[in-house]
Formats: sequence, C-alpha cells, structure tokens
Amino acid sequence: MDLDTDELENLMEDDDDVNVQLTSAELIEMMEEIWVNEKFAPEILPNKSEIVDCVLGQINYMERNLNTLQCTDFKKGIHQLEVDRIRYLVTSYLRQRLEKIETYVFHILKQEEQRAERGELLYLTEAEQQFAMKYKEGLKQHFENVTSFYPGLPVEDWRNQLVVPNIHSFVFLKARNNVEGVVIDTGRDDDNDVVDINPGSQMIISYNSVVDLVKNSDVHLI
Amino acid sequence: MFGEKAYILIKELDRSRDSLPPYNTELIGEIGNEIKQLIAQNQEDAQVTEDSHAAESVSYIPTVKIRHAAIKRNVRCILAYHYNRIKCLKTMRWQFGSILPPDVKANLSASEIEWFSQYSNSLVHYMRSIGEDGINLAVDLKPPKSLYIEVRCLVDYGQFELNDGSVLLLKRNSRHYLPRNECEELIRRGVLEHVV
Repeated sequence: MDLDTDELENLMEDDDDVNVQLTSAELIEMMEEIWVNEKFAPEILPNKSEIVDCVLGQINYMERNLNTLQCTDFKKGIHQLEVDRIRYLVTSYLRQRLEKIETYVFHILKQEEQRAERGELLYLTEAEQQFAMKYKEGLKQHFENVTSFYPGLPVEDWRNQLVVPNIHSFVFLKARNNVEGVVIDTGRDDDNDVVDINPGSQMIISYNSVVDLVKNSDVHLI
Repeated sequence: MFGEKAYILIKELDRSRDSLPPYNTELIGEIGNEIKQLIAQNQEDAQVTEDSHAAESVSYIPTVKIRHAAIKRNVRCILAYHYNRIKCLKTMRWQFGSILPPDVKANLSASEIEWFSQYSNSLVHYMRSIGEDGINLAVDLKPPKSLYIEVRCLVDYGQFELNDGSVLLLKRNSRHYLPRNECEELIRRGVLEHVV
C-alpha cells in the first residue's frame, strides 16, 4: 500500500491546491475514514460533500494524466488500478448513503425537517434530499395504488410505524482525541457508567453513547 | 377464518426471498374483497348499534373490534407483500440497470412497473448531479483487486468493443482476459462469468 500512495503522490504532485493544505494521501485517508464511518454507523451521518468533491476532482485529474501516458508504459496499469480503487471508495460511500436513505426514508426526512426548523446543518446534500423526496413520493404512490380498491382504508398505520435505525447497536471504535466522561447510556437513569477514552484506544460500545463523538470525529469507527 | 388468504400471500413471499414470483393479482383481489366484506359488515353492525337501545347493542362491539383487527392485519400483509417486492426490484435495478429483463417484467404489476421507472429516473438524476459530470454508481460494486480479470463467455453475445477501440467476438465458452471495469456489467447480466 505504501508503494501505491507514493506513486500516487508522484502522479499528482502539482495538484496540491494552495488554499487547501492537504496532500492527496491525506485526502484519501479522510475519504477512507468517512467511508468506514458511514459503513458501520447505524444511522446516516452528516454529508461530507467537500471531501467527496475533492476526491472526485482528484480522480478526474489523475485520469487526464493517465491518458497522456503511453499504453506500453508499465506504470499506467498500476495507476489505473489506483484510480479504480479510489473510485470504488467514493462510489461505495455514496451507495451506502443511498441505501440508508431508501431504508429509513420517512425517518430521515422527518429528522431533516426538524433540523431545518432549528436552523441546524442538514445531513443530506441537496441531491440526496431530492432523491429522498422522490423516493418517498414513489413509495407513497405505489402504496396508494395497491390499496385503491377501497378508498378510506386504515392505511395511515404504516406512516406511523416507521422503519428507524437501531442506534443502540454496538460499534467498534478507535479514539483520536482524548475524551473524558463519556456516559454509557443504558436507557436507565440511575446507574449510568462513565468512561474515559484515551487517544488510540479501541473499544466496543453502543452507538448512541458516542453519536456526537463520531460526528465531530473525536473517534472513528472501525 | 379471517386473514387466512393474507397469510398465504406472506408465505408465498417468504418462500421466494431472492426472486420475484409473478404478481399474485388473484389473491390480492380476494383479500381486497375480504376487506370490503368486513367493512360492510362492520358498518351494518355499527348502524344497528346506533339505532337500537344500549342494552342489546353491547354484544356487537367485540365483533366489530375483531373484524377491525382482521382488516388492519390484511392491509398490513398487503403492504408488506408490496414493500418486499419493491425491495427485490431495487436490487435488480442495481444488477441489471434501468432495463429489466423481459421475464422479470412479465411478473410485475402495472403499478410496480411505474414505480420502477420512477425509481430508475431519480437514481439516474442523482448520479448525474454528483461531481462535475456525474458518476455511475452502478460500476465498481465490488472492491477492485486487479485491473484485468479472466472471464468465460456463457452465451453467444456477438461483437464487443472495448474502450481502446479493439473489437472482440464473444462466443459461447470462449475465454478472455479483459479489463474488469468494462466487463463488470456483462458479468452481472449473466453474459460473462468470472473465472477465479
């Protein structure tokens, strides 16, 4: 892997933007992290469209560079594979998000609405939001079609029984920063344990206790 | 007994988890009729309850409640049936792309076909909006391990042009060494088979 990233850097040496102090290797690392986070978090996480856009830009640039190389060049194959791998990272990340949006569409849109009301940052990108709306409409339309044989059926039920992510599921995490006094939320008020997380330590913990830490990237999931 | 047909419907769904059996119009219709009947009976009883004196009408209330529970259950089963079929359709969208194989299409209801094209459209719309000129999320479904893979051709496909312009003939049982990203779609469509 080391070799690959070295090669990568050679290929993109002059691409480092002046305003973003990031090497491409660091960028890929960040992309990997948000990908893994998204993969293991039970609920949808805030979107990282800046990183995704950056990586997509990198891919485009690398592909343009690749086209200037000759077909017989041995390096071309290696670089091409690297580009494919990075692209897989991005597409898999986006697919992961789409899947969550589809499964929890009603729940997510409701949460987004609440966030918009409170003036908080939205989790979905604009395109994702659009997709979610359309998906919801389609589902609603289809359900109405299949129950149209008797108007006025008690179909409202399914709208009240939403599919929600299980945020109490357990996740593996690795800490980056020192966090003290993380309350392990057992659901009961009386006997909550408190734990300190040291940098670099790994633990398994229920997701709802560390939601905020994951979102502000004090810890990352593994 | 109430809800028996709905139970058969769910059983049918459970038996074929990864494939789409033909849309069971008949059974759905029967369940719909059962629901209609139950509602009519309930309305009748409710009417009688309203008209008569409180003393004799009490006995109807449990009946109405049970019928109502049966209606709700039936509706729920119908929705579950459709929801799970849609889930299956979704996987197929990722597998085959926006055009369904004819044998799958024959098994769908009109509403499902409509839903599918709508879903497909919004997906395409979303993919186009990412990055500068869009990105196809339907490729690279598995992590790429190598650039070229060995594939065996399962059907007589005909000519296939690669990105670099070279044309090759895909004949049944022939073996090729191809760029992974170009033949991935053909593998999913069952034209090629990855030889490991």
